[in-house]
Amino acid sequence: MSLSLSKPLAALAAALVFAWLGAAAADVLKDRQETMEGQGDAMKRVKAYIDDKAGLAEAQQAAADLSRSTQKIPDLFPPGTGAASPNGKYRPKPEVWTQWDKFLAAQKNAVEKADALAAAAKGGDKAAIAAAFGDLGKNGCGGCHTDFREKLSD
Amino acid sequence: MASALLLSLAASSAAAQAPGAAERGAYLAAAAGCGQCHTDQQGGGKPYAGGRRLETVWGVVAAPNITPDRETGIGRWSFADFERALRWGVAPDDSHYLPAFPFIFYNGLADPDLRDLKAFLDSLPAVAQQNRRGEQGLLSISWAKAAVAVVAEPHDGPWRPDPDKDAEWNRGAYLAATIGRCGDCHTPRTVLGVRNPERTLAGAAAGGPGGKKVPNITPDPKVGIGDWSLEDIQTLLESGQTPDLDFVGGAMGEIVRNTGRLTDEDRRAIAVYLKSLPPHH
Repeated sequence: MSLSLSKPLAALAAALVFAWLGAAAADVLKDRQETMEGQGDAMKRVKAYIDDKAGLAEAQQAAADLSRSTQKIPDLFPPGTGAASPNGKYRPKPEVWTQWDKFLAAQKNAVEKADALAAAAKGGDKAAIAAAFGDLGKNGCGGCHTDFREKLSD
Repeated sequence: MASALLLSLAASSAAAQAPGAAERGAYLAAAAGCGQCHTDQQGGGKPYAGGRRLETVWGVVAAPNITPDRETGIGRWSFADFERALRWGVAPDDSHYLPAFPFIFYNGLADPDLRDLKAFLDSLPAVAQQNRRGEQGLLSISWAKAAVAVVAEPHDGPWRPDPDKDAEWNRGAYLAATIGRCGDCHTPRTVLGVRNPERTLAGAAAGGPGGKKVPNITPDPKVGIGDWSLEDIQTLLESGQTPDLDFVGGAMGEIVRNTGRLTDEDRRAIAVYLKSLPPHH
């Protein structure tokens, strides 16, 4: 088969690839928003335990979720996905990609602090859990959100 | 006579190098965020050597070099020059700064704090870097707005403590009114661009940089921070984390870099002061 004959086919393939890429990007944005919201919920579940509104088992589950979920953050930011979140609230700053190493370091830091929270939750000491929770929020989540996230609306 | 001169020289140099002055000044400079504007971070500029371009309601402003370089920085400034610039926005050559430089707030700084700030800046390595020019027309609306702001904004010298309040409240009020500059964004402005004294810290629909909404930080339980605890406010000032476990962004994200360097005591003092304000909704 000559190359010229395959032109319409190539165009079709290209169109399909672009459509697929576009859909994939939209999926990433949705996945990113849901993962971040899930992490926010998990933080709230740990907070509920600290405030005596939930049991230790819930905090342990939530901490384990955080420890797993923070690890997959880099997969949620493939190049070219700098668009706003589907709910229109946030947008990654271009620095995510222009300073990818710094972004990865901040993410790794968040993973370590989430792991520390999970370990404290397993230990079951409330004061230690509260300390690890504060550290993860302020220095883990906060470390990324201040530098790499733009707030668009409330 | 010679000995009297020597004595006064010794006295002035002792005053300039009072123990810990530069360290205390470093704390104030960090909390005020001097280096955030006076450093061209994106261009990889040296700290405090100026060059950052800021888009403001007064046009594009280029922050100047405030290192002690004698030609391009403030190395030749006397304390009187420094005080006049910080309190009244007037440079040694009698030119006026735009209020993008928050002298209207620094107007209230206590004398010892101004001396400490100068001691800190004097201790920095001098960097020779020419100042850039801003972008304002000579008779533009920017200058008119700036003139109105300077004339109408209340600034009448060092902030005075309220004798009816305790030391912690007074410390918080002082920090909020001076280096904290909370009212710069959180107090709505009248059409003339002057802060509305009836609505102190009540938030502004479009008062933030880029015309963004700025929240009400008075203790109104519905629209303000009435249901925040002191710890909630302290946590926000330390790390940017809100009580619903989200994080502030944008301009407040930058401010948190400054308030994050305050001591816990100073953050608590600001929280105590904010919680004492009359609620606005």
